[in-house]
Amino acid sequence: MYRRWLWPSLSFPGVLWLIVLFVVPFYAVLAVSLGTVDPILFQPVPIWNPLEWNVGWLQEALQRLAPGGIWFDVGIRTIVYVALSLVLCLLIGYPVAYYTARHAGRWKGLILILIILPLWISYMMRMLAWVNLLQADGYINRFLMFTHVLSQPRDWLGGSSSTVIFALVYGYIPYLILPLFASLDRIERSHVEAARDLGASPWSAFRTVTLPLSKTGILGGAVLITLPMFGDYYTPNIVSMSPKTSMIGNQIDLYFHGGPQPTLGAALTIILAVFLTFLMAYYMWSIHRAQRDVGAVGAL
Amino acid sequence: MARGEIELTKLTKEFAEVRAVDAIDLHVPGGEFFSLLGPSGCGKTTTLRMIAGFERPTSGQIVLDGTDVAYTPPHQRNVNTVFQNYALFPHLNVYDNIAFGLKRAKRPKAEIRDRVGKALELVQLSGYERRKSSQLSGGQQQRVALARALILNPAVLLLDEPLGALDAKLRKTLQIELKALQQEVGITFLYVTHDQEEALTMSDRLAVMNAGKVEQVGNPRDVYEDPETLFVADFLGVSNLMAAQIVSTSTSACKVAVDGYELETRGTDLDVTGEAKIVIRPERIELEPHGSQSGPNRIPGMVERVVYIGSAMQVIVRAATGESLQALVQNTGSAIPYEQGTPLQLHLPVDALRVLPSGIGDAPSLKGEEPDPEPAAAG
Amino acid sequence: MTTVAEQRPAAGFSTSARLRGWLRNPWGKPRFLVLITWAYILWSIVPVLIAVQFSFNETRSRTVWDSFSTRWYWGDPVDSVWHDPTLRHALVQTFKLAGADVLIAVPIGVLLALGLARWHGRGSAASNFIMLFPLVTPEIVMGVSLLLVFSELFTFIHTGTTAQILGHVTFSISFVVVIVRGRLFSIGRQYEEAAADLGASPFVALTRVLLPLLTPAIVAAAAVVFAISADDFVISQWLSRGGDTDTVPIRIYSATRAAPLPSVNAIATIMMVITLLIVTLGFLTWRAFTRGESKAGTAAEDFGTAFRL
Repeated sequence: MYRRWLWPSLSFPGVLWLIVLFVVPFYAVLAVSLGTVDPILFQPVPIWNPLEWNVGWLQEALQRLAPGGIWFDVGIRTIVYVALSLVLCLLIGYPVAYYTARHAGRWKGLILILIILPLWISYMMRMLAWVNLLQADGYINRFLMFTHVLSQPRDWLGGSSSTVIFALVYGYIPYLILPLFASLDRIERSHVEAARDLGASPWSAFRTVTLPLSKTGILGGAVLITLPMFGDYYTPNIVSMSPKTSMIGNQIDLYFHGGPQPTLGAALTIILAVFLTFLMAYYMWSIHRAQRDVGAVGAL
Repeated sequence: MARGEIELTKLTKEFAEVRAVDAIDLHVPGGEFFSLLGPSGCGKTTTLRMIAGFERPTSGQIVLDGTDVAYTPPHQRNVNTVFQNYALFPHLNVYDNIAFGLKRAKRPKAEIRDRVGKALELVQLSGYERRKSSQLSGGQQQRVALARALILNPAVLLLDEPLGALDAKLRKTLQIELKALQQEVGITFLYVTHDQEEALTMSDRLAVMNAGKVEQVGNPRDVYEDPETLFVADFLGVSNLMAAQIVSTSTSACKVAVDGYELETRGTDLDVTGEAKIVIRPERIELEPHGSQSGPNRIPGMVERVVYIGSAMQVIVRAATGESLQALVQNTGSAIPYEQGTPLQLHLPVDALRVLPSGIGDAPSLKGEEPDPEPAAAG
Repeated sequence: MTTVAEQRPAAGFSTSARLRGWLRNPWGKPRFLVLITWAYILWSIVPVLIAVQFSFNETRSRTVWDSFSTRWYWGDPVDSVWHDPTLRHALVQTFKLAGADVLIAVPIGVLLALGLARWHGRGSAASNFIMLFPLVTPEIVMGVSLLLVFSELFTFIHTGTTAQILGHVTFSISFVVVIVRGRLFSIGRQYEEAAADLGASPFVALTRVLLPLLTPAIVAAAAVVFAISADDFVISQWLSRGGDTDTVPIRIYSATRAAPLPSVNAIATIMMVITLLIVTLGFLTWRAFTRGESKAGTAAEDFGTAFRL
């Protein structure tokens, strides 16, 4: 019905844009990280020809990440922060998603709106809100002193790991709850009822039916938030003024905006991207599959 | 040639490795209500879509009133389609839906208004111009789809299982309406369905399709009473198949042996020997009291089950040959003379009994004759 | 014989028994789930409400409430949003970028969605892969790559508004594709076939039939792109030249680490309100177009695909 060249032609502007402004820049990162540094001007000199690539800076970056290197602690810390935040997000988010999907009844619409709302509120504003609350004279300290938990105000914003983790959880949890909710919502009531009918207690029915069926949602949501979390640098910067809590993202940020060695920063970026490749691949595959499930792919 | 005449020649459609339509030949004279009948996946819808232009044939010809349109884009063919889900444009109201084709043909506004009005009258929906399709019932949507297609005076109207989404009562009403409509408008209706009762009720002629091939073409009576293959026999109605051994065949009569009983059947011009099947329709089986008059084609049996279906009774009888046969007895209002366990005698009248080659879908070969103008199966 | 009255146990369960019964009711909703959910919602939203409240504080404090005042919005002659040029320009820049993003990314994305949904020839798989990539890439990787490409390769583009717009569009296109393509799959081919059947050329079928049917998804995509762009921090910061190319998120970020005034709260509130208004407007427009559709959950299909539901 349609000419065969129509669909590729319609795709052309978008694909061209993405190649020029996404694929090529990625190659630029490779070229810079595998390039050299001008010794006089301290400027990075990118090498565009793969045959001439210089792995020196990449090796330097890897050495710094290895045990004993100056970035080793940062790397470990990043992984720990992300892992802890993910676990906390799941522990809080799953019950919320579960309740909304299966038991909310007539409140479902309202609760959904309230859960989706943070997604439309600027991340920065949400962080700002907590920075205000965690000030020396902010509500949190005042409340804790009022209830005699603390005898004097505590410095929450001066370099505390728990504050950073707390902020990460607060910031990213809405992005986990939504896919979790969607996958739980899709589970047919009749499956759980069948389990109950066959003698399972509520907890057992949950464990043997609902939980396994929501696995893809858990996985999808987890990947959805860990990917950006690994590259996060602004959250530690906002809620902690200290290098004690810096993550990999902070290092990259420093090397571009603070220090004279963008090449190192580029190298670190490449290493980060490679590290995240498996997560990214899984995520891509799940989007692709979800799109195909929506409806049959039509050829015209 | 008459208007709306379709000639399919060796029409084939392959998807990946699968031959959805396998070199079929079909001829539909103009002005007929013609059905394509078959189970899902038999290729009937694909054939229809090729005639409409939504699928490109892999090979073959589609000749419409003398012109091969197989590779013409759909918007340039003089055929129109009523889709299974009606495909009424949701963003347009009834009037704009029906007027759509006329607007594409750039007809003047006054003419459009006039013709849409007449089309709405034809399908008895005058006054519904402003409604949106979501405000219409299933039956009403179907009628709008009809009007939308017919208003363009196509040579052929293609209908893709249009009554599938409706409940039984509405379906029956619309079947009658559609048939009447076709006779009134006079163009060829090509109707695709898997419902054999529907096909038999409405068609002037029909083609039974299976696995991409045409098994038999004929009018409803011929296809039902004289199935030429096992598949056709089985697909239309209850078939009461029995395995048999051929004793002799001729074009006037055949003799077969079923488990020791010798039966005489109708003649056949199919070349069948050895193992075969015989078929008889339930309503043709005659039930006689046990031990009554003897004669050819009588088999003793015992009633297994009686099922009351309102207008008739299904009497399932286990014959002495071992098979369970279903007989259909009209409900005359008097008491049911059969109950479980009653012994009786089955009479299978000679001219109701037909011989078919064994094996579903086996293509029978014609004994030394040239292919009919309407061959039963190809290749 | 014992009467029913005598068989009845002593009136009134103990409180602990009643509490246990309430908690264990097999048909009732698990109570702790209710508590957790509402506690979460409060924890999620109340801090923001407090921040909004403090934007109306009379004093310079973001932590100690004094009295209601609109000082930080327009009252204060130096530091209010209205008077402070850095804040004002940040607002303008934010919405400039968001608007440009919508105007550029949505058309490109719609075309790409149509193309990718129907294209099955050579190159379609690779194109689909390229389209999915920005969705899965951490923003810092994108920020680094864009900064480097503008400083080392496309040096005719300097950091600043142009670079920021280019960056925003780059990550927005994929969102548009995913949203529009989702709806495209739901619609199917039937309407275009019906149009062609009735004599419409392929061009007419695309523009007069398919595109109107895609309008809800396009509207949803535009709203999502706007919100994502307004909220964006990383790309905007990396490609910013400072000064009035800083956006509101950048201002909030830099201010938070210094000693901010409630004017920061004010500007954040303003941006939040405008973004929410636009999203609501988008949603209402979407609903106007999908009126009469019987399918439940089409909202989830259109808006949700942005979050890979």
